This record gives sequence, C-alpha cells and structure tokens, in this order.
Amino acid sequence: MREKFSQDKLDRCISCGYCLPACPTYKLTGNEESSPRGRITLMRAVQNDKLPALDLLQESSFCLGCRACEPVCPAGVEYGVLLEEMRDITWQGKNRPLIIRGLFAIVDSKIGMWGLGLFSPMARRREANKDLHLMYGCFERRLFPSVSRAVAKLAPEVSCSSDQGCCGALHAHNGELEKGKEMAKALGAKLPGTILTTAGGCAAHLSSVIGADRVQEFSQWWFKRDIELKPITKAGRKIRVGLQDSCHLRNGMGVFVEPREILKQLGDLVEVPGAADCCGAAGSYALLQKKNSRKVVSQKIADIKALNLDYIATVNPGCTRQLVTELRRARVKTKVIHLAELVANSQIQ
Amino acid sequence: MSASDLVAKLTTLLGSDGVRSDAVSLQAYSRDATPMFEGLPEVIVAPRNTQEVSKIVKFAHDTKTPIIARGAGSNLCAATVPLNGGIVMSMTSMNKVLEVAKSEMIAIVQPGVTNLDLDQLVEKEGLRFVPDPGSRNVSTIGGNVATSAGGLRGLKYGTTRNYILGLEAVLGTGEIIRTGGRLVKDVAGYDVTRLLVGSEGTLAVFTEITVALAPRPEASKYGVAYFEDLAAAADAVEKIITSGILPATLEFLDNTCLVAVEDFAHLGLDTKAGALLLFGDDGDLVSIEQSVGKMAEIAKSSAGCRGVTLAADIAAAEALLYARRCSLPALARLSSLSILEDIAVPRKSMAEAVKRIEAIGVKHGLRIGTFGHAGDGNLHPTIVLDKDNPKEVAAAEAALAEIFALPLEFGGTITGEHGVGSAKLPYLEAKIGPANMQLQRDIKKVFDPAGILNPGRIGS
Repeated sequence: MREKFSQDKLDRCISCGYCLPACPTYKLTGNEESSPRGRITLMRAVQNDKLPALDLLQESSFCLGCRACEPVCPAGVEYGVLLEEMRDITWQGKNRPLIIRGLFAIVDSKIGMWGLGLFSPMARRREANKDLHLMYGCFERRLFPSVSRAVAKLAPEVSCSSDQGCCGALHAHNGELEKGKEMAKALGAKLPGTILTTAGGCAAHLSSVIGADRVQEFSQWWFKRDIELKPITKAGRKIRVGLQDSCHLRNGMGVFVEPREILKQLGDLVEVPGAADCCGAAGSYALLQKKNSRKVVSQKIADIKALNLDYIATVNPGCTRQLVTELRRARVKTKVIHLAELVANSQIQ
Repeated sequence: MSASDLVAKLTTLLGSDGVRSDAVSLQAYSRDATPMFEGLPEVIVAPRNTQEVSKIVKFAHDTKTPIIARGAGSNLCAATVPLNGGIVMSMTSMNKVLEVAKSEMIAIVQPGVTNLDLDQLVEKEGLRFVPDPGSRNVSTIGGNVATSAGGLRGLKYGTTRNYILGLEAVLGTGEIIRTGGRLVKDVAGYDVTRLLVGSEGTLAVFTEITVALAPRPEASKYGVAYFEDLAAAADAVEKIITSGILPATLEFLDNTCLVAVEDFAHLGLDTKAGALLLFGDDGDLVSIEQSVGKMAEIAKSSAGCRGVTLAADIAAAEALLYARRCSLPALARLSSLSILEDIAVPRKSMAEAVKRIEAIGVKHGLRIGTFGHAGDGNLHPTIVLDKDNPKEVAAAEAALAEIFALPLEFGGTITGEHGVGSAKLPYLEAKIGPANMQLQRDIKKVFDPAGILNPGRIGS
C-alpha cells in the first residue's frame, strides 16, 4: 500500500489548465476539482498534509482514467500514473469498492481464471510460433470469446496457451499498482516473445511494465502485416463503419491511425464525432459509476445513431460491452464488433 | 460573517447546486496557473445568468465579503488566487455564444466561453476572433478581457483590448451597467469599456461581452532564421519592420530555450545558434508569399545570420510553431519549478534587455531562459529552479525584483500581457508613478465602494 505520491510526477504539472477542455468529467460538471489539474492540486494538498487522503475518494472514483489529458499536456504529466497512485492511496480496505474486490477475487485465483474460460468457445489451445502468443484477456475470454477465435483463424502462426492469468491492468487501475505490475511481469514470463492482445487497456498496461517491444495490440500488429483486405458489402454496397478508439491505446500508446487504415479497406470509414473521447466504459467504471458512465456516453450514442452506421468497430472489450449495452438501450441497430472479427469476416468472403 | 453563515445565505439566494463549500472544492480553487501563490476561499458559487451575478455581488457588497470572478484560472499573475478568503465566483457555467452577426462582424458572448470555442464557431462564417493567447484552448473570453490577453500576433493585430466593443457588467454594488455597444464608432461618454478591459476583476464583473471579429485570412506561411546572438536577430527584426512589412509572427528563442526545446522535442534545431527567429505572415496566398519571401531575404543578408529555412508545408510550419509553443514546458522540465515572467521593452532595446537578464541569472546563480515576441518587444524570461531549495527560491525573488526594474530603464513595462495580479502589484507604482497609482485607487472606489471585488489587486 502506497502512502505518498511520486513527488517528481506531481512537480511536472505547471497548472496551466490545458487539460481542462479534454477532460470528460470537467465537461460534465465544469468544476475544477473534477479536472486533471484540479485533481493534481488535491493530490499535492494530500502530499503536503493539507487534506486527508480519504478526501480524494470521490474524485478518484469519478475520474474515468481515460488519460485524454495526457496528449494535450505540454509538460508531459503522467496523469495515468498519478491516478493509479491516487487509487492506491485511497482505495484500501473497506474503501475499495465491493465490485472491485469481487473482480480481484475472480482473477486472483486459479479457479476463478479457470472458471472464466470454462465452456467458453474461445480460441483453442495450440502451439505454433513459440515467440508469438495470443493473450485471451481475463473477462474478454468469457464475454467475447469470438474475438480470440477470429485472431486464431486470421493467423495460424499465433500460439494460444491456456496457462495465462490476468495482465494486472485491472489491479493497476484500481488501487493495486504494485500487484498489477507483478502480474504483468508474471504474464510476460509465461508467454515468451511477443504478446498479441485484442484489448487496448491491457496492451497499454502490459507494455508500460514489460516494454512496448514485447507487446502488440491487434490493430498495430495486423497493420504491419500489410495484407490487402476485401471490402465487406451489405446489400450490394460497401459497409458504413465507424471506430470507437480505446482511450489507453490512443492516449497511452499513441495508436489510432492503424485501426482506421484497416477499416478504410473494409468499408466506408465514417469518423464518428468524438471517436477519441471515452465511451464511459473505462474498465470497471461502467459498473461502479453507472449514472456518470451513461452521461459520458450519451452524446456518442446520439452521434452513432445519426450516422446510420452498419458497424461500430472497437479495439477493447470494455468499449464493446458499453456500446452494446447502450446502443441496445437506445434501440440503435448499428452492430458493435471487435476490429479483429471484422477483419476475419472480410477474409471469409 | 462566518463561513457557514456565508454558505447558508448564498444557498438561499442561489439554491444548493450553485454553491459549494466542501474541503475538496475549496482546495481545488485555491490557486490558478501561477506558481507559489495559494489561498483557500470560503465558498464557491457558479452563477448561471446576469441576475444571479448581480445578486451575489450585492450580497458580497452588503456583507463586505471579498469576491473573485474566475474563468479557467489559467492566468499567470495570481489574479484569481483567493488570498483573502471569501467567495470565488466561477463563471464557467455562463458559456453561451448569444449571437454571431456576420454582416456586422461581431459576436456577443457570455464570459465563460473559451477563446478557441468562439474562434472555431465564427470560422464557419469565414471570420476570426483575433486575440490568440497561448492559453486559448482553455482560457475564457471573460478572463481574456479581464487581463487584456495578448498573444503571438500582437504587432500586426493588437491584443484583446482592440477587439472589445461593448460590455454588460456588474459593479461592486450589484448594479448592472452597459458600456459601448455593437458599433465601431461610438464616443458617447467616457470609454468605460476600455477602462474595464484589463481591470482584473477589480472594477466590475463581466456578464456579456461584445467582440469585434475579422475576416479569416486565406493562409499562413512561416520560416525560421538562426543568428549568432540575439542582437543580430534584433537587427534583422528592425530591418524587416522598417522595410514596410508588418508581419503577423515574429517570435524568438534564446540559446537556453533552443537547447531545452531541442532536448525535449528533437526538431533538428540549430542548438549552436545564439537565437532563433520564427517569422511568418497571414493573408492571401500571393501577398504572404511575397512578404515571407522578403523577410527571409532580409534575414539572410543580415549580419550574424547562420541560416534561413522556409516551411515547405503545413506540417513543417506546425513543427516551427511547436518549437515556440513548447518553450515553457521544455524549460519547465529542467527543474521542479519554473517562474514565467512577462516584461516588455521598446523593440530597439530588446537585445540589450535580454543580455541584462542573462547577467542577472549569472549574478544570482540561476538558470534563466528567455523567449518572446520580437515584434512587440514582449519578453518572457523564465527562471527554472528547485522549489525545495530555499537558497534558490530567495535568489529567484531577488532576481525577479531586478527583472521588473529593468524594463523601466528602457521605457518599458513590468507586464506586457499577463497582468499585474498579486505577483506584480509591488512593482506597479514604480511603473505608473504615485499620482497615477492614486488615480487607480480613486477609480476603484467609484466602481467598488465597499472594496470587495478582487481585493488586494490593482487600485485596492
């Protein structure tokens, strides 16, 4: 358990406020304390004993952790790390949300991970290239098993090992920073060579611990393969498809061109307004902060509806779940699909 | 009045959702973008319209409670830090553009609209909101007016004060006044509009702002020139301007900034140069081709020039502008604290002033980088220091006093575009003289008899 923030990371912030317009929770409230700069002011107050650490609880939960503040920061503040530290400091013992404790319990145990994979029609175990491993993801293997199947079908050279735990992103983002790092290292040791993942959030966490050279997010990896894809058609025309960026993939790893280039081959790519903005899934946020999560996504749902898309492609399972739920609630017919599945569909034709 | 009474009374006036007083909120509003200034307010209010602003200010007047109107809190002179407690009135909920009149080339906005949002909105009409402070993506028009914010285009286009036609504002008594209007020509009465621009929230609170817009130029073009030292760059600037060109952009970086920027952004800058000069112009394609070409020639033939490059495309131009924009953050990375200052001198004294600033740095053992606007003589000396080293902090304070005295020798000013705030108030009288200082105090009393509006700042 952490007690202090990294002082050098706090010092980085020059309080210019350039992050304010990029922050979804500042947009919702207009309140300084709900902005990245405001939260750093609060962290400094805690660091200097001007404010009790537990006063940070509300803001540490309200923040989506989307890191949209990072690319716009002229001073290079690592806000994502500071947020993880803030949760590490405040979300201890009974202050950790029950849902998070439950999720930890599942992925922390062998039985839990086994249970997530049980009867799941995810990609079958196989040995192929020893230096290229597909990562199933913890909840992704249960919720969206077709994603790993799609990747396995697209690339016979990819190995699929059944002996793999959670990457620890869940822990790192929810107040167990050190444990999250250990889990990433453990996964890195289990899966030698390059780890291929279909989850932007996992990719960002994993690469921050074991190095970007060992981690490939699906769109990054596929784009480099340079295989020409056939357009997917519907009723004799190319499909209309939009993209929802993964926050950590875009803001943490700077990957946003690749998925778009792939989609341009598959159909008519329509840029959804605010595609780069958080969809409100934000890992476990949609479970913990249901109301705020819906407020964050509402404009996006209206925009997708207005564009009359056939598909909205995702690159992270949390976003898939959020958009499926919210589009269904709004009775929008646009189908949410992981980019890997869409690529696999093109190959079939 | 006790803090809890204050909160209770304001809640009666505004309803509970416009009033906050929890420890977290108060802490968050305890500072702005100025380092080393902090103060806790007692309550934060967020009015939604002019009537609410009037009610709040009247309440503050009647109870003699300090009140500070705050936009995005991006100012660099500690103009919105609640050093006397009291009320912080956040204007960000009043963020509507009320009207854009294309044929009159004006817009009427509420104070909480950001500079960038307004400019992007009027772009659709082929127009531009000209003032472009570095903070434009976050700073509000209300804050821009309160500090008469400048920017990178000062020489050719002026600053915020040249674009404000009319105001609706609430005086320190709660009374609502209107000044100016929609017209370019209007000399009815004293020019109260102009007086309120740059008044830093000490005379009135703006609730509606009428701004002048300009046609959006077709394109921009940029180039960069390197010089042996800043004196050589300043000579080139002098030649450019006396040749009859009025460029939109003339920015410089000294060697300390150049090295810091290159280390940070790896743009391939000539780090051996004593100064970098970024020049550019906007307008129709033919005329900017001519003016920027001519600027490049003048720079090239100037003594001490090490090389000139014209940006071939938008990406190259963006890289050059980025070099200038990231000067402050690049310097800020060198240590835990950076203090950005804002003096201005007549252009002919610029090189001499920068040399003197360098000497001040050496004398106090401090690292000082200077960048700024070469066209209008506005310099931003930036001191980088370790905030936990009391010796360096004391040295920085001594150096700052010398830096503020410096421009006065040249007929310059202690602040070109950031404002006086609390940070530079001790140096104001030296700049404007005792009689003018007294006049400022007298003016303040007329607008704000109870002395509640941003107390402790200009004229208080």
